[in-house]
Amino acid sequence: MLKIKNITKSFGSLTALDNISLDIEKGEFFGLLGPNGAGKTTLINTIIGYLEPELGNVSIDGEDITIENTQLRKKIGYVPQEIALYLELTAYQNLKIFGSIFDLKGNELEKKINEVMELVQLTDRKKDKVKDFSGGMKRRINLAVSLLHNPDIILCDEPTVGVDPQSRNAIFEMLHDLNKEGKTILYTTHYMEEAERLCSRLAIIDNGKIIAQGTLVDLINMLEQKETIKIQKTAFTQDKISAISDMGIISEHDFYYELIVNDKYKQHSKTFIRLEEEGIHNEFVQVSRATLEDVFLNLTGRSLRD
Amino acid sequence: MKNIYHLVIKDIIRFLNDKPAVILTFVVPMLLIIIFGNVFGGKGSGPRGKTNIILVNNSNSVVADLIESKLDTSKSLRMIKKYLPADSKDSVLFDEESAKEFVRGGKIMAAIVMPKDFFLDTSSALKFKFYYDPKNEIESAIVQGAMQQTIMTQIPKVMPIILKRKAINYIGSDSTARFYRDMTKTVTKYFGVDSDSFMSELTKVDSSSLFNSSADTSAEANFMGNIIQFDNEQLVGKEISNPGLTRSVGGWAMMFLLFSITGAATSLFEEKQEGTLKRLLCMSVSRADILWSKYIYSTMLGVFQLLVLFVFSWAFFDIDIFSNFFNLMIVIIVSAMAAVSFAMIITATTKTASQANGVSMLLILVMSALGGSWFPIQFMPEWMQTGSKATMTYWSVEAFLSVLWRNAPLSSVYTNIVVLLVFTLLLNAYSLVRFRNGRVF
Repeated sequence: MLKIKNITKSFGSLTALDNISLDIEKGEFFGLLGPNGAGKTTLINTIIGYLEPELGNVSIDGEDITIENTQLRKKIGYVPQEIALYLELTAYQNLKIFGSIFDLKGNELEKKINEVMELVQLTDRKKDKVKDFSGGMKRRINLAVSLLHNPDIILCDEPTVGVDPQSRNAIFEMLHDLNKEGKTILYTTHYMEEAERLCSRLAIIDNGKIIAQGTLVDLINMLEQKETIKIQKTAFTQDKISAISDMGIISEHDFYYELIVNDKYKQHSKTFIRLEEEGIHNEFVQVSRATLEDVFLNLTGRSLRD
Repeated sequence: MKNIYHLVIKDIIRFLNDKPAVILTFVVPMLLIIIFGNVFGGKGSGPRGKTNIILVNNSNSVVADLIESKLDTSKSLRMIKKYLPADSKDSVLFDEESAKEFVRGGKIMAAIVMPKDFFLDTSSALKFKFYYDPKNEIESAIVQGAMQQTIMTQIPKVMPIILKRKAINYIGSDSTARFYRDMTKTVTKYFGVDSDSFMSELTKVDSSSLFNSSADTSAEANFMGNIIQFDNEQLVGKEISNPGLTRSVGGWAMMFLLFSITGAATSLFEEKQEGTLKRLLCMSVSRADILWSKYIYSTMLGVFQLLVLFVFSWAFFDIDIFSNFFNLMIVIIVSAMAAVSFAMIITATTKTASQANGVSMLLILVMSALGGSWFPIQFMPEWMQTGSKATMTYWSVEAFLSVLWRNAPLSSVYTNIVVLLVFTLLLNAYSLVRFRNGRVF
């Protein structure tokens, strides 16, 4: 449905997007994961036709998106990173302005406004000025505007930045429901938890390049070490940790030690027996499944939050 | 076209919801018009303020008394003759020294002194002393002008006496007496007037007769009395009830128009920063739609603002806007278009909202001062007057002045309209080029 083919975009000497290709199927919930400055927003800006790439093209159902081709953009619902609303106006006025630009009018417009207000659970605040809303409510109206014209594709550019957990969950549920209704969603984030929770398929972007893509399982399977052992950091374990240095690589974190075991301790049973022998009991030990953070670390040598 | 319509509506809704913008666009200019309307006179305004001047009359002559009485009835000057010394409960008359002290101390702007030898029986000139503090040169010039005007109206009455005394001084009393006798004979012979009364009038050098009203009415007396005569006739603006405000309202309106329109156009930067511009662009809206909508909205706002200000001036200060309303509307529309083109070029050539605000503030103030919004350009040196023609403000202010003051037909402001349209076209063309390469989009 949405094809991104060999997109390259530079700003002066900085190559923001370097030969990026993605193929997103109809009905897919596709995640684009990467740290700040990786090129996520630039890619979204190129998809919506706000930026023109030097090379490559973006197409929807085989039709190229260009700056001039404004009609094709009606298939897209864009949820920007910013609260792109007229804050001094009411939620209703915002929806009416953007709805009329989407060619909606009269009863149809009123009906759609009521629908999306219901969806984002803000019907009772319709007549209030957006500037008086909480951060989470603003985000929900931001999302509602992009749904007014019933788009086929929803592009969400980090839609939960600065949002409280409750509103974040509400947004996740809305997007999940929309995806279930058949909407194709492209979701950018630098939170791996969001990507893991929402997306059926993912691409990891760094320095303007797609460095990996696939399902969550595909990406985790790229790792040699699919699990990590975490040992709680206490005064007791601190004394014992040097005794197990022969078991593998130990890295120290704020509240725990991370142990990546060598081949001799690949079996959990051997690991736990040895730790018991050294006096590190089970209550201090936790086995964690590898995450996208580990995948990113493995691919780039850096943390997502670096 | 549909998008442009919706975007214009959007801008109007935003403007109406932005109370500070509404106040700055309409209320502040109205307040200034109220201030200027009252300064220059108009409906409901009280009597004009008078400027205080110390008058010291040390002369015993009737001419000095005559001038003093005239100064006492001046519409623009108030004669102060007494003051209250620090160590006294009673007011005392000013003398020359105390008057000078008051002027030096900044307590009063000027003092006029008619000294003892102001006009003696043998004087052939009036002797005034004028002391002033030129801290405000314009005010000082106005006061001097008003005083001179009052004094000059009395000069013709004294002039014959002065001339006769000068004649005696130059050719001697015998020759003067012979001249009067010969002249009386000739006039009596050919015009049949009474020789005694004519001779008496010719030889009179006593200024006390100036207060004798019967002397003024005789033809003989007026023979020398009316040697200076001004026939004043105001050819333009006679029927205008508030000339001062009529002259200045166009200039102030144009300055506020530039401020409000520039604010409206540079809101593109705010919309970019808020992300709404990008949101619109990723809908079915093109960049051209956004620019056109901004242009149309700003022009509408400008026309409406000017219209409101002129109607307000009409309602509260009797500025006649309806006798030449069609031509006034043409000038309003063309001025608004020119102001929008100025705002567009500011938006197209600057990089941020704060930069746009700074540059526009500077340019608007310079254009307003140079273009005649604040004061008539005739006050400026010639090179500045030439420079003022390079500002759109000048052409607009002159056009407003023509249609409001002279009731000028369209043909009289044709040049102004063409120049404003040329400004509009050139600035818009350059803005479009800059918008393609600029940072707004």
